Amino acid sequence: MAPKRKKVEVEEEEARAQVEVEEEDEEEEELAFSRNYFLAKEVGSASGKRSAARKVSEINLVDDQLLRASLSELPTKHEKEIGSLLESYKGLYSNWLFELRCGFGLLMYGFGSKKALLEDFASSTLTSYTVVVINGYLASVNLKQVMTTIAEILWEHYKCKAKTSTGKKQQTQLPNGLKSVDDIVTFIVDISDDCNCSVCLLIHNIDGPALRDPDSQQHLARVSCCSCICLVASIDHVNAPLLWDKKMVYTQFKWSWHHVPTFVPYKVEGLFNPLILFSSGHVQTTKTALVVLQSLTPNAQSVFRVLAEFQLANEKEEGMHVSELYTKCREQFLVSSQVTLNAHLTEFKDHKLVKMRRHSDGQDCLHIPLPTNALEKLLQELV
Amino acid sequence: MAKHQSSPQSASSQGANSQDANHTLEPFFVLHKAQPQATVVEKVSKSRKGRKKRIESSPKSPEKSKRTTSDEQPSNTLYEQWRFKAFNEIWSLIQSSIEGVLRDINLKLFNEVLQWIEDSFSEIKSNVKLSSSEILQPYPLLADTLCRKIPTAFVLTKNAEFVDDIQTFCDLGSHLKANRCHVANMSALDFSLKFGIGGSVRSLLRQLHSEPLDGKIADMLTLAKWYCEEENNDKPIVVMIDDMECCNADVLGNFITMLSEWVMKIPIFFIMGVATTIEAPKNMLPSDALQHLNPCKLTLGTPSDRMNSLVESVLVEVCYCFSLGHEVSVFLRNYFLRHDGTITSFISALKLACSKHFSLESVSFLGLYMLDQDSEERWSEKFVYLPESMKRCVLNLHSCKSEKNLQGGVGSIVQQLSDLKASQRFWSSVVLCLFEVARYSKMQFLDIFCEATDPKMYCMNGSENSLKKHFRCGDKNSTARSSSGVGSITRVIHTIREMPVAALSNLLDKWNNHTEEMTEINEEVKKLQSVLASVDEGKVYEENLHNIRNRKSVSFISGKGNSANEKVAMLLDAMIRKYMKPLECMTLHEIICFRDVDVLQSGLIGDPRKTIQLDLLKCHSYLSCSCCSSDAKNLSPSMHDTSIMYKLAQEFGDVINLYEWYQSFKTVLTSSSQTSRKKGRPSPASKKAKPLPPSETEALIQARFCGAVTELQISGLLRMPTKRRPNFIQRIAFGL
Repeated sequence: MAPKRKKVEVEEEEARAQVEVEEEDEEEEELAFSRNYFLAKEVGSASGKRSAARKVSEINLVDDQLLRASLSELPTKHEKEIGSLLESYKGLYSNWLFELRCGFGLLMYGFGSKKALLEDFASSTLTSYTVVVINGYLASVNLKQVMTTIAEILWEHYKCKAKTSTGKKQQTQLPNGLKSVDDIVTFIVDISDDCNCSVCLLIHNIDGPALRDPDSQQHLARVSCCSCICLVASIDHVNAPLLWDKKMVYTQFKWSWHHVPTFVPYKVEGLFNPLILFSSGHVQTTKTALVVLQSLTPNAQSVFRVLAEFQLANEKEEGMHVSELYTKCREQFLVSSQVTLNAHLTEFKDHKLVKMRRHSDGQDCLHIPLPTNALEKLLQELV
Repeated sequence: MAKHQSSPQSASSQGANSQDANHTLEPFFVLHKAQPQATVVEKVSKSRKGRKKRIESSPKSPEKSKRTTSDEQPSNTLYEQWRFKAFNEIWSLIQSSIEGVLRDINLKLFNEVLQWIEDSFSEIKSNVKLSSSEILQPYPLLADTLCRKIPTAFVLTKNAEFVDDIQTFCDLGSHLKANRCHVANMSALDFSLKFGIGGSVRSLLRQLHSEPLDGKIADMLTLAKWYCEEENNDKPIVVMIDDMECCNADVLGNFITMLSEWVMKIPIFFIMGVATTIEAPKNMLPSDALQHLNPCKLTLGTPSDRMNSLVESVLVEVCYCFSLGHEVSVFLRNYFLRHDGTITSFISALKLACSKHFSLESVSFLGLYMLDQDSEERWSEKFVYLPESMKRCVLNLHSCKSEKNLQGGVGSIVQQLSDLKASQRFWSSVVLCLFEVARYSKMQFLDIFCEATDPKMYCMNGSENSLKKHFRCGDKNSTARSSSGVGSITRVIHTIREMPVAALSNLLDKWNNHTEEMTEINEEVKKLQSVLASVDEGKVYEENLHNIRNRKSVSFISGKGNSANEKVAMLLDAMIRKYMKPLECMTLHEIICFRDVDVLQSGLIGDPRKTIQLDLLKCHSYLSCSCCSSDAKNLSPSMHDTSIMYKLAQEFGDVINLYEWYQSFKTVLTSSSQTSRKKGRPSPASKKAKPLPPSETEALIQARFCGAVTELQISGLLRMPTKRRPNFIQRIAFGL
């Protein structure tokens, strides 16, 4: 068990931090050398004082629930000014549309959430386009599903056109016969010339977590240069342009950059980011939980599933009693004895997948520290 | 965390309706389906006032905002459609010109490739004759391994960026297709480790088959079957890989080895683009794959040659309907030379400039009639139907303000437009003459173009002898100036003075064609041609060119000034002074001339790294609220949270202590006055006030702090704390 656990921990860490921790010290040294002398001195002196550096725990942290509640109720500063800033961009909508029609892709950047702005632009100006919105800020975006939807939209138009033009055979196969994203994208590219419809892909955060990988960007780039598809996208990360090579920028996406700072809070975009002052330390996320679970035995996964399904079905309950879990698991032949279940539970608790709580009736109960939607997603991905 | 979902975005709620709120957590959704075409641009352009000035670095002139009134909405849409139509026509003209130029440049290479394929193909055919049953045998033919070599052309692209060559390879593909070849245009993506050799073969088959594979197994036997079909047989199969060095070496190696097994049965040819040297394939490919290649080396033209041809045909010959202002030309020149030196980026910048011009300049649609033979009639017709407001737009153009003649009415405007057209024709003729000399001395056309569009130069030339003075001055410093591009025209004239007679005579022949519309100049050219001819007859110019050159330069230095070279130089001087009037010096030039370099630059180069930081540091300039101080250094509690946090972060080094940062932030938020204070380190008071009971205020401050950190994290300006160093956040971006 021990070596396995070690392996799991390493994987968990990778997923959680996304940055190699082991290289950190080297990195720090490099920084000290590579930056100028004075800055190096400053870092040196800072590290000298580090033993006396104040800790986060010294901040009088409030309860998680209270923190979340306050965050959701935060009044937006400068609401009026932000409103008039957004209003002022409406004057540019016609220019943006002009550029889209000229064959450019619109790339919006600048500080602040651009979600509302772009959707307003799409719903008020892009009326002649079928607009497909991708919420790239969500890690759950599945590009295959998106591409399938686009293919279906195009296919519908293509079929209509093929029916009207008598001589033309339907040469391409149906979208549901397509297997990989690559196939679907190729299908879209093939039929796009013969479609007389206009589809606009509106991508919030094309630099988002699910779209950041080179493959997704390649697929998007290939789709964006289809004659009947245009692209409106937003970026928020300062290094987002590094996602694209010259071929993508000049011949596929054909970006026209627009600086549109909105200063609207990133409420939806930051929804799944762990809060920095979360008192319980590291927050379990779907991704980290998935990494851990996938490395466990199928039986352990099933035990977790029983607990998770209970929690989803009884959202108002504080948790599931251990004895109840044991009964259910035994019924399903997942565990043979309490000892086996305890072994699984220890594993879960070690990886912070499950927390022990004292129920109001005095008994210990088990609780998964994940929000409902994250839990649902986790179960979907665990299949 | 789920609680956030239901909370509506207060500030952003204007555009979002309740349906949108439900969509925020869906990975994707269809916002709406397309409506009938009639409503395309109806709902656009409401107000163009207020902050627009800040949004675009170079906004429209105030006149333009004045004229957008609500009663003109429908007609605005109409003008927009006109402008879009004008853009489409003009850009397609420019694009076909670009395509033509690039095709012509590459034609020689294309024909070379074709010849090579035809020769190799006929050689293979003469050696091996197989029936279809033999071709379809799944095992290789027993033949000498030496014969199992695939003829391969390595095309040296002489271009570190392969982006330019993508189009070249596409053109080559269509050229070969038109000449009885099967062509598969593959790229590095088809040779990735992820899909392996299966992906490569599938991609090859997909390109060769006109119909989709429909679940057929992608293997060589399928290819062989396809090749045995009557309409496909008896043609070479050309596999082109545009960026060979970017391919995965193992996959490509296996692909080559596999194809070589079949090369006796299916005549396959490779054309591979190599960006570096001819040694690259040797270094990259495994030796067993390399031995199956029968290499041949071909070379593409350099980007600067292509650029010269583009400038000549696109910027000078097709400049009547859309042209670039001096500043834009200089920007594009620098963009080409300093950015990445690719033609593709230059063309995309040109297209963006063109679309910005037609999108922003309300009367730009008038430029379309510059192309017509009967432009004057077309303008007159158009002006009859134009409402007063649009006519006013024309008269309000900056270049018209000083022009009193224009107040006369439609006739005078049309007259001015015709003058503009004629002047542009003369201008381009003179520039073409300059290019002819530049071609001889291998100068960059773009430098000359930039100088020829400079209105200051023309103003300077206006005064008596100033041109000469300029040239003399240029003579002295010509070497110093040449690198900066200033004084290119001076160098052109200097070149003429040193040209041998034969070259001079060639030059005059070409000038004769270019100056047909300028009768006065054309006559002079003809006279000079006859003078040169008589010189040719009188003296036998069998001497080598070197001697001639020496003698001419001696005569120039001795100050005679009446040699043929000097006369040609004087003629060019006169042409420049009289006919090369830059577009920006003409009335109504705004209709066809794009000058807004800031707009172009911001559309082309986003630079989010700098801009997003600036947004945070100077948020007041965007929000322009009354509650915060416009002074960037003052921090007030009313400021945007993330902005306060980012300003505070500037005080730290590479890493930020979370506790100190939080305390500073708290102090800013709780300080009632806007007094400037030492930032970065918490004040002793705030440290002492640490054990505050967890109250609503504390929760609110912590929530604000968390929100701001999340926002900075989304912007990529911070790296979150790690397990090893939980109390520190790492800064990522330093400086602007």
